[in-house]
Amino acid sequence: MTLRRIAVAGNPNVGKTSLFNLLTGSRYDVGNYPGMTVEQREGRLLVGGEASTNVLIDLPGTYSLSAVSEDEAVAFRALSGEDESAPDAILLVLDASNLARNLYFALQVLELGRPTLLALNMVDAARDAGVSVDAAALSEALGVDVVETVARSGQGVRGCTDALLKLEGGGDAQLVALDDAAASSSTELLAALEAVGCSPAKARWLVASAAADRLDLTSVRPPEAEVLAKVSARVRHTAAEDIIAARYARVDALLEKLGIADAVRDGAPTMSASNRVDALLTHPVVGLAAFVSIMALVFVSIFFWADPLMGGIESAIGWLSETVAGWMGPGLFTDLVTEGVIAGVGNVLVFVPQIALLFLFIGLLEDSGYLARAAFLLDRLMSRLGLHGRAFIPLLSGYACAIPAIMGTRTISSYKDRLVTMLMIPYMSCSARLPIYALVIGALFVGGDPWISESVDQGLLLLGMYALSTLSALGAGFIYKRTVLKSPTPPLVLELPPYRVPRLANTTKVVFDRTKDFIKSAGTVILAFTIVLWAVLSFPRDATGAGQGGPTQISKSYGGRVAQSLEPALEPIGQDWRVGIGIIGSFAAREVLVSTLGLAYGMEADDDDPVELRAAIRNDTDPETGEPTHSRLSGLALMVFFVYACQCMSTVAVVRRETRGWRWPLFMFTSMTGIAYIAALIVFQVGLLLGAG
Amino acid sequence: MGGTEHPPAVPRTAADLTIGQAGVIASIEGHGSVVVRLLEMGLVPGTRVQLVKRAPMGDPLQLQLRGFHLSLRAVEAGRVQLREVAS
Repeated sequence: MTLRRIAVAGNPNVGKTSLFNLLTGSRYDVGNYPGMTVEQREGRLLVGGEASTNVLIDLPGTYSLSAVSEDEAVAFRALSGEDESAPDAILLVLDASNLARNLYFALQVLELGRPTLLALNMVDAARDAGVSVDAAALSEALGVDVVETVARSGQGVRGCTDALLKLEGGGDAQLVALDDAAASSSTELLAALEAVGCSPAKARWLVASAAADRLDLTSVRPPEAEVLAKVSARVRHTAAEDIIAARYARVDALLEKLGIADAVRDGAPTMSASNRVDALLTHPVVGLAAFVSIMALVFVSIFFWADPLMGGIESAIGWLSETVAGWMGPGLFTDLVTEGVIAGVGNVLVFVPQIALLFLFIGLLEDSGYLARAAFLLDRLMSRLGLHGRAFIPLLSGYACAIPAIMGTRTISSYKDRLVTMLMIPYMSCSARLPIYALVIGALFVGGDPWISESVDQGLLLLGMYALSTLSALGAGFIYKRTVLKSPTPPLVLELPPYRVPRLANTTKVVFDRTKDFIKSAGTVILAFTIVLWAVLSFPRDATGAGQGGPTQISKSYGGRVAQSLEPALEPIGQDWRVGIGIIGSFAAREVLVSTLGLAYGMEADDDDPVELRAAIRNDTDPETGEPTHSRLSGLALMVFFVYACQCMSTVAVVRRETRGWRWPLFMFTSMTGIAYIAALIVFQVGLLLGAG
Repeated sequence: MGGTEHPPAVPRTAADLTIGQAGVIASIEGHGSVVVRLLEMGLVPGTRVQLVKRAPMGDPLQLQLRGFHLSLRAVEAGRVQLREVAS
């Protein structure tokens, strides 16, 4: 069964995703282009509801095929067959309401000379804006078949499918000749490239890449590279300019022929409704206020809806654990199943509500066109901080939970910027640190002489931790961008599309895909870590059977022994071995510090912050000296430790998945732990010197 | 031109445009990937470009050209040399 491969290409914001989903019934596999971090979706074309032998390959949406960034490189190489075989056909998706720009890309695709079908999408929007074109005229002018579609509603999908099935025959490569006004050096350069066996389409691709200093993205052969190196940078640049100018001259001629040239030269008819909305949403005052409100709404909704869902999952897991324990009876294997496997699965599933909600909101904001406005509003601030515009939402989400935040960095196209953002996120004080702060503050910062008043003092302390974490995150980003992950600030060349009502089916499909991906890839790592941690804190089994899981048991476990042997290292930061066990246990999740400490102090610690635990911590005295084990200073040092420490196996798991390797998660973990220790050390030792001990 | 009236400053680049003012592109200054990207987005000589608005702190700019809207930083807009003004 030979599969017929059809590549789907188009500008961003033209509804390519919607059309692809409709043509494939939203059934597709996600994979990677070899050697790139760009993802590729492949699905079978549905004919009469059945998967046919035609495979649709969704290429990244790009404004051009010239390799100036990875996306374009991938698109060109896939379409031209540079790496593997060229596709049998191309489905070119254009935005009918934006032909003045879309046609440029269309001309580039037609230069390749593959059988091409043009899907004129969003014809309804074009009609409403008064810029409709006659599909037949366009077809005649470009020499390819044209179908009209409205992917939002599904209109024209059948026609598109039929046309794809009928599409055959090689097209002729429609090369746009350089203008008479073009420099002779440009014509000569193209001729020189073709003379060494380069196809005309590839020659144009190489010239543009060379002018952009990105030949590294192309599959340039030595003879071709030589030809390009022989001429000056100015010649290369002029040649690129001449090629682009010639294409746009042809676009202008086409627009004239189609009768819409005047409408799009002097105005932007498709933006008239959006302009009215933007009068508010990008207004200096109202716009910023709206942005803050929208962000607040999104995050409050996530907390509001995710919290009970997470609680529900935790209860369900707890119930399952008890029920299974009841069936299986007490014993080692039961514990492995309940505290290892079931707890591990629970640790994975508990993230699903936050991931789903965050991606739902991000998807809606993106598809509606609002995120482009947000980028417009924030760009000044973000670029001043050296950050990528699309890093804002992931960084902000880090205050809730690093896991969906790190997953959300995938929209940042530059790999280095993405990595910097991912490394910054764990420094943002996530919600799991809150129980720790609450415990320490509630245990040790009570009684005594308050500075302003006890509750205000406590509030300021908490705020101080959050401020410290934010500054640290920004500082980390600053350092990374200037050292290990140096990369220039990307320029902002961002289209502001018309506001559109998002197609909910697309958004929910993305949410489903990302959640499934998380469970499969990060989930396995989280499950493994859970089991390992359980073993470390449960073995060796207390032979006397006294206090199953009680303080004696845990102090005798491997984890307990490690913590006790680490006491010399814990002392300088003001902590004892019980906290040490807590730190080891908290690698599962920061809030686990509370329950692990509870176990170490012999509590039946089930809830997050029992009052008795606070009392136990406050009253704990060193058996040798009779002095209190924990003081305000040691509590402060512990909190500072947790501001910096990467005590979250799920973060490690997600970073591993996103960077496809262990190098960066390991770097992140060790660097953060190191910094945490040093910071706690400074706080505690300086505090002692100042007499606060 | 005489008297005490100062002639309005003629915008030399897209960064100099005032809100609602439009110009026709003469050329894009510079080399490299940014310039290639600007050209390919449609900022080619002969194209009419109009300033729609500026972001709260004056940067970036929202430009209208070829029937769509584009966001550019002032530094990038400064590369877009204009040859005449239209309104």
